[in-house]
Amino acid sequence: MRFKVTVGLPDRPGTLLRTLEQIALNGGNIISIIHNRERITGGYVPVNIQVDFPDQECLERSKVSIESLGIPVLGTETLEKRVETVLILGPSQVGRVVDTFNSLGLKIVGVSVSGLPSSPCLKVVMELPIQGRKTLLDRLEGAVSSLGGLLIREED
Amino acid sequence: MMRCAIVGYGFLGRALVKSLRESYGGRVKVTCIANSRGTLFKEGGVDLNQLPAELSEAVGFREVSPIDYLDKRWVDVLVELTPTNVIDGRPGIDYIRAAMRAGLDVVTANKGPLALAFDELMREAEDKGVLLRYEATVGGGIPVFTLHRYYLKSDKLISIRGILNGTSNYILTRMHFEGMPMDLALEEARMLGIAERDSKLDTEGIDTAIKSVILANSLLQAKKRLSDVKITGINSITLDAIHAAKEMGMTIKLMGLVEDGKISVEPRLIRLNHPLCVHGTLNAIDIIAENLGSLTLIGHGAGKSTVTALLSDLNDIARLKYID
Repeated sequence: MRFKVTVGLPDRPGTLLRTLEQIALNGGNIISIIHNRERITGGYVPVNIQVDFPDQECLERSKVSIESLGIPVLGTETLEKRVETVLILGPSQVGRVVDTFNSLGLKIVGVSVSGLPSSPCLKVVMELPIQGRKTLLDRLEGAVSSLGGLLIREED
Repeated sequence: MMRCAIVGYGFLGRALVKSLRESYGGRVKVTCIANSRGTLFKEGGVDLNQLPAELSEAVGFREVSPIDYLDKRWVDVLVELTPTNVIDGRPGIDYIRAAMRAGLDVVTANKGPLALAFDELMREAEDKGVLLRYEATVGGGIPVFTLHRYYLKSDKLISIRGILNGTSNYILTRMHFEGMPMDLALEEARMLGIAERDSKLDTEGIDTAIKSVILANSLLQAKKRLSDVKITGINSITLDAIHAAKEMGMTIKLMGLVEDGKISVEPRLIRLNHPLCVHGTLNAIDIIAENLGSLTLIGHGAGKSTVTALLSDLNDIARLKYID
């Protein structure tokens, strides 16, 4: 799984090396490192590290190890996502459908509505993390169903 | 020579008799043919060339149940072709059980008994030392169970998915390519003899669910019943939805899905160039196995192609038990 780990590095020699060591010790494979020197805040340089970990647990262990060195981890993000489209038929409360996506943390890329107000067809393009995709879609399907709608997902 | 009783003499029974008469003569003797009204029994074999269009007009036809003739003295194999009943599986399940109790092997195209009591029937067959074959129950002429029995058994099957109902696929195809409203497409399917007058089994996804249960139980030993299936049919699919799918290079198909120990039937978006995306009355089945990966089978899911499945099952039984 690919992640983006953002750390706040004190501008001192060796701190990046020590950070990378913790990632490597926890099974991480570094893909890229980007220093955001123009965004120095409070003496820290935000550094984005793209890294492949075997699983989420390795990421969590790395995070703890890095922070134990006094280096703050400013954020982590799953990078492997796919853009996927679903159709939602039936529910007339479009706003509530959008709220459902938001409540599940799904990023909507685009929405279009067609059909009659009484039986609309929503086409929703969204970003889904690859890990846990199926569970999220199942939860989304359940939520849409509770609004009286039918979710039609894409076959792999 | 293997002696057969054919119980159920509708479209499929007649098509089977025609094939037995034209290209299978000499290898199978039909001693009993029955429909819902009665039974024609000839111990020496029914002359298939002399059968009238209406079975009840045949000399020797009697208004009696065929169950008394399901006896090893006169019959080796029951070919059970009565209509599917998903409520209690009758009368097919009664004929199958009676035949197996009498030591007869069974070939069936009837989905009801298998969807309702797959494990029980297979256990009963094993206890009696008889064979129960059902290739014709799913996907018409697509040899999915035979393929599993003779080719895939050593691999670990992970999931099965497919378009398993020709009527709903025909309706969705007409909606996609012709922009035809669902009710008109259904009416057209009825006029062409593709859909039954009561098409609820097709459009509400029940037929797909039945077939998915049989696939799951046979190929994945899932021990599932029809009541375990989450079913969504195609009734709420609108032309707007089809149009939205079309804009993305996709369409909507009714899929039967067996995966992660669950069975569901639901409409899915599917890319037009996806191997499973077949149109008209075609069926498609995708089997995913650990070593093999994905294997997609496509074929006609109903009609005459089903006779091929029946003959294949009969051949299999003959090869295993009646040919030295």
